[in-house]
Amino acid sequence: MKRLQHLVIATALCSFAVVSVRAADIKVIANPSVGASSVSADELKGVFLATKTSLSDGSHVEPVLLKSGPAHEAFVKQYLGKTDAALETYYRSLVFTGKGSMPKALASDAEMVGYVAKTKGAIGYVSAGTAIEGVKPIEVK
Amino acid sequence: MTTTHRIGLTLLAALPGLLHAQFDFTVAGRDVQIHSFFSQGFGYSNGNNYLTMDTSQGSFAMTDGGINASVRLTDKLRIGAQVYDRNFGKLGDWHPELDWGYADYRFADWFGVRGGRVKTALGLYNDTQDQDFLRVFALLPQSVYPTDLRDATIAHNGGDVYGNIGLQKAGSFSYTLFAGQRKDTPYGGYIYMLQPVGIDYKDYGGLQYGADLRWTTPLKGLLLGASHMRGDITGTGTWTYSNAIFGGTGFTTVPTQETTKSETTSQLYAQFTIGNLTVDSEYRRYWRDHMIFDNMFEVTTDTRAWYIAASYRLSKRWAVGSYYSRFTDVYGDPPTPIPTNTSGPDHHLYDKVATLRCDLAKFWNVKIEGHFMDGYGSPGMYPDGFYTSDNPQGLKPKTNLLIVRTGFNF
Repeated sequence: MKRLQHLVIATALCSFAVVSVRAADIKVIANPSVGASSVSADELKGVFLATKTSLSDGSHVEPVLLKSGPAHEAFVKQYLGKTDAALETYYRSLVFTGKGSMPKALASDAEMVGYVAKTKGAIGYVSAGTAIEGVKPIEVK
Repeated sequence: MTTTHRIGLTLLAALPGLLHAQFDFTVAGRDVQIHSFFSQGFGYSNGNNYLTMDTSQGSFAMTDGGINASVRLTDKLRIGAQVYDRNFGKLGDWHPELDWGYADYRFADWFGVRGGRVKTALGLYNDTQDQDFLRVFALLPQSVYPTDLRDATIAHNGGDVYGNIGLQKAGSFSYTLFAGQRKDTPYGGYIYMLQPVGIDYKDYGGLQYGADLRWTTPLKGLLLGASHMRGDITGTGTWTYSNAIFGGTGFTTVPTQETTKSETTSQLYAQFTIGNLTVDSEYRRYWRDHMIFDNMFEVTTDTRAWYIAASYRLSKRWAVGSYYSRFTDVYGDPPTPIPTNTSGPDHHLYDKVATLRCDLAKFWNVKIEGHFMDGYGSPGMYPDGFYTSDNPQGLKPKTNLLIVRTGFNF
């Protein structure tokens, strides 16, 4: 019985840990070619929903996604206002009507940093604890 | 032949999946994306045959798929094309077509242009109506998105001007203005509907233009929109009639034409999403005043349709949905006023629908959907799923329909 209680408590704590990843735990990063050091939440949402292809300073940007994970779930929910499934559906509706492309999706924070560092205009996100050498942090206002 | 077509389409659509590692590849430093989809359905009804399928016996004649390729040539210029093929009963009839194919140049976020064969922005789902995997439902509400009339609205050969404008605290606003030529295939519902009376249109289409405006409101998850389209449509072909009507024998075939005096489609829509719940509602009015039999007769048709739908994702694998869809159609011969009574089953079609969707994998889903229909619309005047030629025993006022549909997309 005690073992069951422990299991329930552990599960609840893990669930809390997963859902409690918040904007503060995510870093938005960009390739150094991007001029802006900060973006508004609306701008960021527009970039990732393909309604914006440039930032207010005129920099062309290209969104890059993580494939999954707590940072991805939190980013999608908090900055894009969607679930992961809804975002996937949204991109597919663009792809199959010819009105957009599927953004690059990467498997890990390290891959994200590496790709953003070498790709002109790339903008992505990683967990807050990730080392971000070669990319610039973007403040979301 | 049908099985061969089905296997061929499946393999073609599966190609990007089979070549998963290569389906995004690079040409001259540019990423080329290839995507595809395929779906196979089964329909079984308790009475009337539906959507030109032999559903009263159980029908697998519900297959479609497509494959596309696109590439961004510069930061502002994209090109791409998609081929689509379907066989829904007698609709589509395995004749592949260019679904869309165009160049898209975005000067700025608030101003872009597309030219070529372009999907028409009309309401929430007109341009994605073939991609059932984007939704919980196996069939969209047929009152507003009749699959028989897909050709009439799906795309235009011409161009769009489009853009998105941020409104700061008031949300954002997007617009699409479009104009071009509509060109129906010979395998759509309207042409099919007229064939039993001896009319065979070889060419059907004309100018179409309009606008779609949508407002992403500051209320999180709420989208509001309106679309309007006008058309100047001409059908040309032949009319074969029995000489018995003039006291003779045999048949005579003569050229015939129908032309639009006025044709408008107006649509209002709203969508609200909160968490895993999505609620949609749309209203469409289609009005047509046209001259038939080489200007011999004038006929007006007034169809009004709306639906309300809700879908909920229970888990990564399961989702459920339901909608109520309502369609009425009246027609007349001016200057006589159009009748307004739509209580008869030959003037309305009300459909209650419940769906269960299972995502077996990220790219593969199965749906089970029940339709409980009251009425059969106006067979002979406006395609709405029920045709007298498919139901020679006579149409019954109520139809229950089961659809099982599976599909994949990459």
